[in-house]
Amino acid sequence: MNELFKGFARAYAEQNGYLLAATLSPISPPENPQRLRLILKSSNSSSIKGDIKHLIKSNASHQRGLDHEEIKGWVEVYAAYWNAVGDIVAGEDGKSTWTKVYESWKELTSILIRGYNNFGFEAWTIPCLYMIGKYLRLFAIRSDTERSRNIGDNSGGASLMQDDFDPETEKQGQLRDCEQHLKRIFTLCLNDRAPLEESRKWGIYFIINLLFKTYFKLNSASLSRTILKTLSAYRGDMPPLSAFPKSQRVTFKFYEGVLFFLEENYVEAEKHLVEAWELCHKDATQNLERILTYLIPCRLLTTHVLPTKALLEPFPRLQRLFFPLAQCIRKGDLRAFDVALQEGEDEFVKRRIYLTLERGRDIALRNLLRKVFIAGGFDELKEGETTPVRRTRVPVAEFRAAICMGSGGELVDTDEVECLIANMIYKDLMKGYIARERGIVVLSKKGAFPGTGV
Amino acid sequence: MSGWPTTQHPPSVSQHAPPPSYAYPPNPAFIPVQVRQGFSPYAAPPPPPPYNPYASSPVQSQATTPGTTTNASPSAPVEQPKGGKTEWPESVRRYVQRSFHPENDDASVSRAELEAKLKDTIGSAKENNALYTIDWDNMPLPQALVRADHEAALLKLRHTSLTTPIYADDSFNPRKRKSNDFANNDSSVPPWHSTNSGRSLEDRISYSPDKRVALDDPKSSKFQKEANKRKRRFENEYKAANVASPSPTPPTSGPIVGTSETLEKKYLRLTAPPIPSNVRPERVLRQTLDLLKKKWRKESNYSYICDQFKSMRQDLTVQRIKNEFTVSVYEIHARIALEKGDIGEYNQCQTQLRSLYAMGLKGNPIEFKAYRILYFIHTANRTGLNDTLADLTAAEKEEKPIKHALDVRSALALGNYHKFFQLYLDTPNMGAYLMDMFVARERLAALCNICKGYKPDIKLRFITEELGFESDADAAQFIIDYQGQHLLEDRTEYIAFLTGKAGNLFENSRALAFRKVDIKGQI
Repeated sequence: MNELFKGFARAYAEQNGYLLAATLSPISPPENPQRLRLILKSSNSSSIKGDIKHLIKSNASHQRGLDHEEIKGWVEVYAAYWNAVGDIVAGEDGKSTWTKVYESWKELTSILIRGYNNFGFEAWTIPCLYMIGKYLRLFAIRSDTERSRNIGDNSGGASLMQDDFDPETEKQGQLRDCEQHLKRIFTLCLNDRAPLEESRKWGIYFIINLLFKTYFKLNSASLSRTILKTLSAYRGDMPPLSAFPKSQRVTFKFYEGVLFFLEENYVEAEKHLVEAWELCHKDATQNLERILTYLIPCRLLTTHVLPTKALLEPFPRLQRLFFPLAQCIRKGDLRAFDVALQEGEDEFVKRRIYLTLERGRDIALRNLLRKVFIAGGFDELKEGETTPVRRTRVPVAEFRAAICMGSGGELVDTDEVECLIANMIYKDLMKGYIARERGIVVLSKKGAFPGTGV
Repeated sequence: MSGWPTTQHPPSVSQHAPPPSYAYPPNPAFIPVQVRQGFSPYAAPPPPPPYNPYASSPVQSQATTPGTTTNASPSAPVEQPKGGKTEWPESVRRYVQRSFHPENDDASVSRAELEAKLKDTIGSAKENNALYTIDWDNMPLPQALVRADHEAALLKLRHTSLTTPIYADDSFNPRKRKSNDFANNDSSVPPWHSTNSGRSLEDRISYSPDKRVALDDPKSSKFQKEANKRKRRFENEYKAANVASPSPTPPTSGPIVGTSETLEKKYLRLTAPPIPSNVRPERVLRQTLDLLKKKWRKESNYSYICDQFKSMRQDLTVQRIKNEFTVSVYEIHARIALEKGDIGEYNQCQTQLRSLYAMGLKGNPIEFKAYRILYFIHTANRTGLNDTLADLTAAEKEEKPIKHALDVRSALALGNYHKFFQLYLDTPNMGAYLMDMFVARERLAALCNICKGYKPDIKLRFITEELGFESDADAAQFIIDYQGQHLLEDRTEYIAFLTGKAGNLFENSRALAFRKVDIKGQI
């Protein structure tokens, strides 16, 4: 315990928020694996507040900027921390539950927030909020998993008054609850009116990223939009994103991109994901892989660009995911595309890219039809013409033959072939029109397949 | 017109009317023969009616299905024999309709009270020859009038209870007394209410339309009305609680066990923990389900059935009954709601079913998972679709209804309208009710595609076949509905659809149709 408050004093002396936050860690550091147990043992519930007060005063009372009110606030915080540590240690011994840990950590969160509202905690201490918020979310998730294992005893009296059961709240109740508290921290940072140098506004992106993670986990990614809207309402007096630590910017840009991706706004999504890609540390392979997981399908739809071998080289998992598909798209092999999509379906669905990748079939089809066009060769030169012109009147039957072959020999009837071609035309992947009476497709003489050189 | 495979239609396509809002209205003036004579004389038909399943024939349905909780007919005022046949003004009919519209249901006002009040109001208006002078459209609903009665009675009760016995004016106003006998049967109605119906206020109200309007003035009394409603409900529950347990029992957090033996029960949203004597145990609920199934077959009164099912669901929930019986209650309610286009209720049932199936309870998960997919297609809910895909097992994906729904999804995702409409015409179970909700919008999308892809024209028959219309006439009507009459050209052998001249005609309607997907769709 004494160690803890030495750290506290040092942090105050240096005004180092991260050092201060470390004193509130719920995990014993590797060099001191007994830390939590020692803290717990050094006091008891009846004398804890007095002990803390004494330790703070003896270690740090001479620090500048630590006034009486603040000490009062920190005593409360560390007392709540000591309680939570009790539950964590008991949990390690199998004598407590994650639900209890979550509850006591939540209490700690509330008290810490109160410290900022009532006891004048300074802005440099906000890394404490990071520490608390980060673990609040993790404990909530663990508590939910724990509770879902012993279903039946979880819901209290509230559900007694409902018309139906609410399966969602029963499943992720704690995380939903946790979201409320993270939102409080969000507001705490957002509404600080102190001058920018000493404002809690500097905590905003860390908390936003935590909230994003929570919303994605809760399967309600769209709620992140609300946060972004609130943020943009305050944009005027917010420091620019570029002034925040890179690690926070990468995460933020990644989530912003994925959000657009899920909303099917691939152009915007690409912009943000590229930014995240460029900011990301080159050794953060996992994060790079995450970014690419969405950036590749994005590019496929916006610019019809497939990933190169070199790009995927460092990511064996992405190779496995995307290579077969890319191959089929290049070749225009519809059947193989379907198979590859089906084989990767579980993975794709899990990453929420299935519905996007599926649309890559259009590109595969475009490539197939383009081959037909090229195989058609050139019209005979007419008088006065010097450069050969490709044959632009292609019988539907030829396209049909190609589609049947591409579909692995399955017979596709003419009406469906026309439907597929009409789609190509509608999506501007092909220029021309179908003359149904004559059974031909009339393709544009200039750029029948835009962007592909023919 | 031959060769169109009507036999392939799922039952709902050919036999049931699709939900009104999604169907384009049949134009009575339009018959196929006229199509062949040319299209210029046709003006654009009226826009589709607002989504309101009750609007089609509310008077009829209410009149032919008398209130099932009591024997009084809701149309009683209309049929009142006084003075032989009366021509009821349209405004009065509308007023009656509004009174019975489920939207206006008030839990604190019983059906019997409502009917009595309605009868009273219209009857006295007739006696005073005020049928045509009263502004029926602004007349407060009987629910509001009854609530005012309650309020007055309550006030009176407060004033008199100290000195006068409550039942003092028991003999007053025998007519009123009689109608309230119905209410007396209703155990949830406190006793003071049947004996003390506030004659003075009622008399005032019945004879002076101006004051009646004032009573319902939203500005002056909306808050008051709400407050009264709350107060009344509180009092009801308080009374009921006292009846159930004379000595106050501490609230328990465990599930309760019901003791009620009544088969039917009106749905009332709980605002306090339920009372066992008002809750039916599973044994009784099973009988209730049988009764409701019979009633639904015989009477098809949806607002009654829905109400009853909701109270059943509530009873199941408060007793924490989660078994195969629960599944069947939700399944049946979901199917009925689907048939009636009540997407709100349908959705609630679906949510429950999903978690009930997840618990391993038996039922028809395949059927309902397929509906779920179709529904997500309708609401264009990509997250939902993705999650559903994630939940399906490989074996489930091969089951016919689910495979169908998945094929529908992928056909739409790839713009393959050809395949989509083939699937539409071959939908298993009740999926067609769901597909009807988005088929019009997909037709628009396909039309946009076709108009851009084909030049200079195509036969109308091609549209009919590709877009799953029942006849050329239907196809033509659809095009006309979206201002495309000038694109139809009568040729000697066939009707041509001038795709080359369409330009962006259907694009706006398409964008509009895809934008407004009402997620809740609740009645």
